[in-house]
Amino acid sequence: MAADLEFENLVNLYYRDLYRFGFSLTGSEMDAADLTQETFYIWANKGHQLKNPGNVKAWLFTTLHREFLKICRRQKRLADEPIEESAASLPDPPADCANRIDSQTLLHFLGEIDENFRVPLVLYYIEDMSYKEIAEVLMIPLGTVQSRIARAKIQLLRCLTETDPVQTRRK
Amino acid sequence: MKTKQAKEILLLYRGPIDDGDPQFGEALEYARGDPELKRWLRDQTSCYDAIRSKLRGIEPPRDLAQKIIRHRPIPLNPERNRILQLAAAIVVSAGITAASLSIWQREKHFIAQGQEITVKGEVLDMTCYIAYNMSGPENAADARECIRKGLPVGIKDENGKVYLLTGEPGHSINAELADYAAQIVTVRGKESVRDGFAQLQVEEIKKF
Repeated sequence: MAADLEFENLVNLYYRDLYRFGFSLTGSEMDAADLTQETFYIWANKGHQLKNPGNVKAWLFTTLHREFLKICRRQKRLADEPIEESAASLPDPPADCANRIDSQTLLHFLGEIDENFRVPLVLYYIEDMSYKEIAEVLMIPLGTVQSRIARAKIQLLRCLTETDPVQTRRK
Repeated sequence: MKTKQAKEILLLYRGPIDDGDPQFGEALEYARGDPELKRWLRDQTSCYDAIRSKLRGIEPPRDLAQKIIRHRPIPLNPERNRILQLAAAIVVSAGITAASLSIWQREKHFIAQGQEITVKGEVLDMTCYIAYNMSGPENAADARECIRKGLPVGIKDENGKVYLLTGEPGHSINAELADYAAQIVTVRGKESVRDGFAQLQVEEIKKF
C-alpha cells in the first residue's frame, strides 16, 4: 500500500536523527529507542493533521521532545533552576577538544545540564537547524533559544575544560 | 565592537551553516582583524565540530527501523477514525451490557449456562474487522498489536459466524490470543447469545 511505503520511507529517513536526539537527551539506549518508536507511533495516528508537509521533520522532533518531557515529569526530574552561567564568565574552548571527550563523557556532561537548556543545545549540535527552526521545534521564542544554548554551552565547555584529556585518563 | 562583545556573539557560531545568519556578520568581520579572537574562533568551531561528530556518531540499534515499521498502527483518516471509534464504542458497550447482564443474572441465581462448543476459525481484531472488514494474514501484525492493547478480540468460523471471545468474568484473554491474531485456531468454550450477539467464553485454545 502507498501509505505503508510512505511510512517506511519516513522512518528510514528520520529514525537515526530522532534516535540520536533521544539518546543525547536521555543517555539511555532503551529510552531513546522507546522515544523514537513512540514518535512514529504518534505520527501514524496524527500525522495526517499536519497541514504543511514541509514541516514533517520539525513535527517529529517536537513530538519526541514532548514525549521526553512527559518522561521527565513522570520521573519528576524537571528542574526549574536556571543555569547560572552567563556570557560574562565565558570560558575559552579547549584547543584539544576532540581529545578531551569520548561519547560517554559527553553524554554524562549533557546529563548534568537542566533539560530546558539541554534540549536546544543538543539540537544545536546534532541537527543543521537554524535557531529559528529550533525555536519552532521547541515552541519557545528565538531569543530564549539562543540564550539557553549559550548558557548551556558555557556550562558544557567549562566541564570539558576541567576534565582531563581522554588519553591522559587512559594512561 | 570589542573582543569580549564579539566573543559573546560568536559563542553560538557553528561554522559555514551560520554564515548566512546576519547576527554573526559584524562579529565575524571583526574577528578577521583580531588575531586573538581569530584563534579563539578557530578553537570554538573546532570544538563544535568535535562535539557534533561524537553525537552524530551515535548509532541506533540495527533492528530499530524494522521494529517501528512492524509496530505501525493502522493509519486512519479522520472520517475512518470516527467510524472506528463508533464501532469500538458499540463493541465495548455490547461487551459491558453482556457482562452486566451476566452479573445481574448470577446475582438473581438465574445463571444461563452456555452450551460448550468448539469453534474453528480465524482470530480477529474485532474493531478493525467491523469497521474496515480487515482480516487475513496481511493484517496480522496490526491485529496482533490491537489485541495486545486490549481491543476486543473475536473468532470467525468457517461459516462466517463471528463470536466475541472473552475470558472468565473479570479476566482478559487478550494476551493469550494476541499471538494467534489472523491465524486459524480451534477454541473450546461456552457460548452465550444475547440479542443476536454471540460470545464465547474461552476455555481452551488450540492452534490449527
